[in-house]
Amino acid sequence: MASKVTRRQFLKISGAGLLLLSGCTANLQRPVWMEPYVRAPEETLPGEDFWFASTCRMCPAGCGILVRVSNGRARKIEGNPAHPLNQGRLCARGQAGLQLLYHPDRLRHVLKRTGERGQGRWGRTTWEQIVEELAQQIQGMAPERIAFLTGLLPDYQATLVARFLKGLGAPPAVVYDTQAAFDGRVVLEAASQALFDVPVLPIFDIARADVVYAFGSNFLETWLSPVVYNRAYGRMRSQPGVRGMLIAFAPRLSMTAANADRWVPVPPGTEGLVALALGKIIVDEGWDKSNAELRGFYEGVDVGAVAQATGVPAEELVQFARRFAEAHHPVAMPGDLLAGSTNGLEATQAVEALNLVLGHLGEHGAIFLTPSPPSRDLRKVPVSPFQAVRELVDRMAAGEVDALFVLGANPVYELPAALGFTDALKNVQLVVTFASMMDETAALSDIVLPAHTYLETWGYEFVSPSTDRLIVSAQQPVVRPLYDTRDPGDVLLALADKLGGKVARRLPWPNLVHFIQTRLTSLQLLEGNIAAQDAKTFWAYWLQHGGWWSKEQAWQVPEPSQNLSAKRLLVPSPEFDGEASQYPLHLLPVPSVTFGDGRHAGLPWLQETPDPMTTATWDTWVELNPATAERLGVKHDEIVKVTSPFGEIEAVVYVFPGIHPDVVAVPVGQGHSAMGRWAEGRGANVLRILAPRTVPSTGQLAWAATRVRVTKTGRRRVLPRLESNIGVDRARERGVVPG
Amino acid sequence: MSEREHRWTMVIDLDRCTGCQACVVACSVENNIPVVGEDEVRMGRAMHWIRIERYWEGEYPNVRARFIPVICQQCERAPCEPVCPVFATYHSEVEHVNIQVYNRCIGTRYCANNCPYIARVFNWFDPQFPEPLNEQLNPDVTVRRRGIMEKCTFCIQRIRRAEEMAEAERRPLGDGDVQPACVQSCPAEALVFGDVADPNSRVAKLVRSRRAFRLLEELGTEPNVIYLKGGEAHVG
Ligand code: SF4
Ligand code: SF4
Repeated sequence: MASKVTRRQFLKISGAGLLLLSGCTANLQRPVWMEPYVRAPEETLPGEDFWFASTCRMCPAGCGILVRVSNGRARKIEGNPAHPLNQGRLCARGQAGLQLLYHPDRLRHVLKRTGERGQGRWGRTTWEQIVEELAQQIQGMAPERIAFLTGLLPDYQATLVARFLKGLGAPPAVVYDTQAAFDGRVVLEAASQALFDVPVLPIFDIARADVVYAFGSNFLETWLSPVVYNRAYGRMRSQPGVRGMLIAFAPRLSMTAANADRWVPVPPGTEGLVALALGKIIVDEGWDKSNAELRGFYEGVDVGAVAQATGVPAEELVQFARRFAEAHHPVAMPGDLLAGSTNGLEATQAVEALNLVLGHLGEHGAIFLTPSPPSRDLRKVPVSPFQAVRELVDRMAAGEVDALFVLGANPVYELPAALGFTDALKNVQLVVTFASMMDETAALSDIVLPAHTYLETWGYEFVSPSTDRLIVSAQQPVVRPLYDTRDPGDVLLALADKLGGKVARRLPWPNLVHFIQTRLTSLQLLEGNIAAQDAKTFWAYWLQHGGWWSKEQAWQVPEPSQNLSAKRLLVPSPEFDGEASQYPLHLLPVPSVTFGDGRHAGLPWLQETPDPMTTATWDTWVELNPATAERLGVKHDEIVKVTSPFGEIEAVVYVFPGIHPDVVAVPVGQGHSAMGRWAEGRGANVLRILAPRTVPSTGQLAWAATRVRVTKTGRRRVLPRLESNIGVDRARERGVVPG
Repeated sequence: MSEREHRWTMVIDLDRCTGCQACVVACSVENNIPVVGEDEVRMGRAMHWIRIERYWEGEYPNVRARFIPVICQQCERAPCEPVCPVFATYHSEVEHVNIQVYNRCIGTRYCANNCPYIARVFNWFDPQFPEPLNEQLNPDVTVRRRGIMEKCTFCIQRIRRAEEMAEAERRPLGDGDVQPACVQSCPAEALVFGDVADPNSRVAKLVRSRRAFRLLEELGTEPNVIYLKGGEAHVG
């Protein structure tokens, strides 16, 4: 692997490492730096850069980063070239992390409500006082009446929360955020369980595949591990002697589908049917020689009916099936959109089954499975399905929850309004939110505990899904905390200490660093990038390299489940909320390459970054097929109302040539009533009007199963976009683009 | 500093670019690009030095979109240069980069009018970095004031840093030592940067690809940004 960090930079990757390696830096020839008489703060040398290795937390993927720090300030985040996950690369969100740290509207002190909830009147208090007070309150509560709702936390935090709750005797945390729902993590895990007997996330080796079929997938945008899949996509296109091809089946021309050689538009929720038909053709034509026992999969599948339901002609289905079967290294990957449909689990299985019937499992260019962590201490806390949130909200509404702690999630913003979270909150005595900015949930809390950003704290992450390696990524502070903030993990440790008893025994560590070091002890003995005799040395190297990773390939080869021969794949018709007569269109919320599930809308760099497909910035738009727009009598830049049975939003029309005529797409991310000056009061939040529909088989939120109607308002607002503004169209007139 | 002639070149592989925008943000961070806000974007005054143009082709259902990252093409024969009355924009003979000298610029905007690639952006206002957002600024790059023209520099500060580092370590500059921020970040590895004067560099090999072309080649501007055609069957 080509390392782009020079030797000199490399030696400075970590403060701890610097000390350790100072002996071997002495013989390097390099400019001499003059030191002023005034002593600079520790770790800073005026004019000299330091590069600290750490882990990106702008999404749950866990890419390795190097942060350039000069004069004690973080100036640039880059990918860590040595990190096997992202190999030096980052996505748009990862690049923008500095603005979380230096956002002018960050929370700077512990806040306690003085007025009514939501009035925005706060008093300050100290950490000592608040820990004391929280400990007292917790002691006075029945443990089963204490609840935690967390997002997809970094492992160190998730583990501390889990141990804290166990110590208290409280129910485990509900681990849910919209990013996880968009990823479809619980659906993917359930599909792996059904097909391969292990509930883990799949990994698709598309870099070495010659034919990739992506079903309802946005794998180049926000799905699971965007940098990994972008890199793999790039490599797939230029393999030695082969240009891999990509075909996308989906209702909308997403950025991912736009990169495909062929986009096949299908109605929402029918991607799984396409996969079934392809499988049926493959077995009927006998391409599946080695796997005849799986033929039962496709019993009763009617290719003609699929053609009818999807609008893809039967002859084309046959061609698609043959192209896939003939390929040397084909791979079929299910995507986020499947998980958003009511038939998500069945559809995901139907897609993955294509790899099974052709016997392409765990080989060059095929599907692999995420391995277990290298030690028990590094086990991950499982993600909860949406159903668990629903149950929590029910308990809150029924007055069965005395204290709710929210961490790494923003339920007031991200949950469908119809779930009634905000109302249920009223019946909870004590609401405590950990946050680095005043988000919608913090604003409705009693106590707000200001959190470090990921650039100010310690942590570790067992990266999942990973590449072919086991990776335990390191996180360390790259600058001193700017304000009187703390890591939520440290707050829990302090609370446990105060509470004493069983909780204290579960969380016996004086601080985060001690805790993390105990998690890593088992790694020291394993073969990886670090050879260290003792724990101290291991820790120093771990920070310096940005983590530990295995020497050997570690991804798991999927073993087909024993009971597959009796299995028949059935993909039920998708269901939608809302009467078709009243709500004729399907609503597709689109996670954003910049805001993710909305949590990064506060960052100005990301607000001003154009959406790849529409080139729009700073606002929310509604994508309509040209025919649909014409039928509704609306044009670009007109404001329309999008009404579901559960609410309505207003946004600006973008006439979008790449969308099924029955579908409207609205990007996720804007419509904040809090979260700082750049997020507040712009655009609309589409998540609020979704049906809070749970899929029984997995408990997943069917986030792509709401019907809407779109109506004119007669008002207009020009969408701030690049296209036809910064000369893009002018450029076309001038023929900047060939052809 | 070594005065060996370099011919810095960027190769943009359109078959790999996914349109993900990582380069756009990376460039903003590295080069202290101001955020201008909703109203100014609406007026076409966004200040990114790299933009991903998106072209629709065809109609539903046979529609495609193509992405083309566009930056200053660092033309050998740059139309922006001769029109500047104060020589604020000129050609560097050593690096073969088109240079913008901020403290010479008087804001006539002639250069922008003359750039066929619309690569130049103008500071209509002073940039705002409300505290402590100013801490994010890259100390190696000047913050430009109102009335100044700016554009992609091929991250000249990174070229300098790499040169200094090589010099300090008494070794020649290696292929890949210089990475502009966009190239460094690009997750699809669509961007490659290097010196075509070095025949063994990756870019020197890539520019010989039969997929290579330049934007608006017929204008004779001789860009140092080379595109590789995408979207068709090719090998390697
Ligand atoms: S994919 Fe992007 S946001 Fe997620 S960890 Fe990697 S760089 Fe960070
Ligand atoms: S980072 Fe690379 S893939 Fe992404 S838009 Fe820029 S050039 Fe294209």
